[in-house]
Amino acid sequence: MIVGTQKPFPEIWEMVQGFKRVLVFGCNTCVAICHAGGGKEAEILATMLRMKAAEEGVAIEVKDLAIQRHCEPEYFDQVIEEVRGYDLVLSAACGVGVNFLTQRIGKVPVYPAINTSFYGAVPKAGVFVELCAGCGNCVLHLTGGICPIARCSKSLMNGPCGGTDKGKCEVSKEIDCAWYLIVERMKELGTLEKLGEIQPPRNWATARDGGPKRIVLEHIAEEETAEVKK
Amino acid sequence: MYVKKLMTTLGIDPARLEMFNLSAAQGPRWAEICTQFIEKMRAFGPSPIADGLRKQKCV
Repeated sequence: MIVGTQKPFPEIWEMVQGFKRVLVFGCNTCVAICHAGGGKEAEILATMLRMKAAEEGVAIEVKDLAIQRHCEPEYFDQVIEEVRGYDLVLSAACGVGVNFLTQRIGKVPVYPAINTSFYGAVPKAGVFVELCAGCGNCVLHLTGGICPIARCSKSLMNGPCGGTDKGKCEVSKEIDCAWYLIVERMKELGTLEKLGEIQPPRNWATARDGGPKRIVLEHIAEEETAEVKK
Repeated sequence: MYVKKLMTTLGIDPARLEMFNLSAAQGPRWAEICTQFIEKMRAFGPSPIADGLRKQKCV
């Protein structure tokens, strides 16, 4: 899932200055799981903004709303007219949600209330860890299911660097050395010899270096277009 | 703790909020806590939000 954290409140307060009607718009999927931008968090943030406005003597109307998902039009369509009625939408969704709403909303500005951080998992309540970098060219079959792109601080492809120390990364003792984990896992699987094969330099065109990406499933996209034409 | 943190963010003294665990059978203790807390809040004076709202009304 996509993991994010709410922006510092002073930054959010600064963003809303000069606006009279503000909607804090939550997304009840990924960012709700990480307690950053779901309906509950949107409600708390809207309350905090109202309290701050009262404290500062600023006249501003702040409401909150949440939908199940900000990245698909079906969920927007039911509320888009209501959302368009505000001077500013403070989106508590991930960056995808902010961009997507911006494309659909018309002249109302959409500002981010959270910092979108990474693709991760929830090993235990309240803890989120990055496990995938969305690089577009998966190598997990070569590395025992442990991603060296996302989980090695240097994204190394042919073993650890000199900074590995008792299974930890030199960047922080909180970070496991991905290559230590890979070696241990491949020993466990009896596939350690696979690591003897040198991986050539990666083609990063499938990742950020290749620019914005687009995937079209023609069999679905064409059917959808035909349906709309009918 | 979470709400106290939010209060600090807003510049409100977190001591303005306390939680007490009591059973429904502890009426006298409840009254005692309420009395003590009210005294404590009187000493604190009006909340910054009340001040802001008052100023807003004056404008």
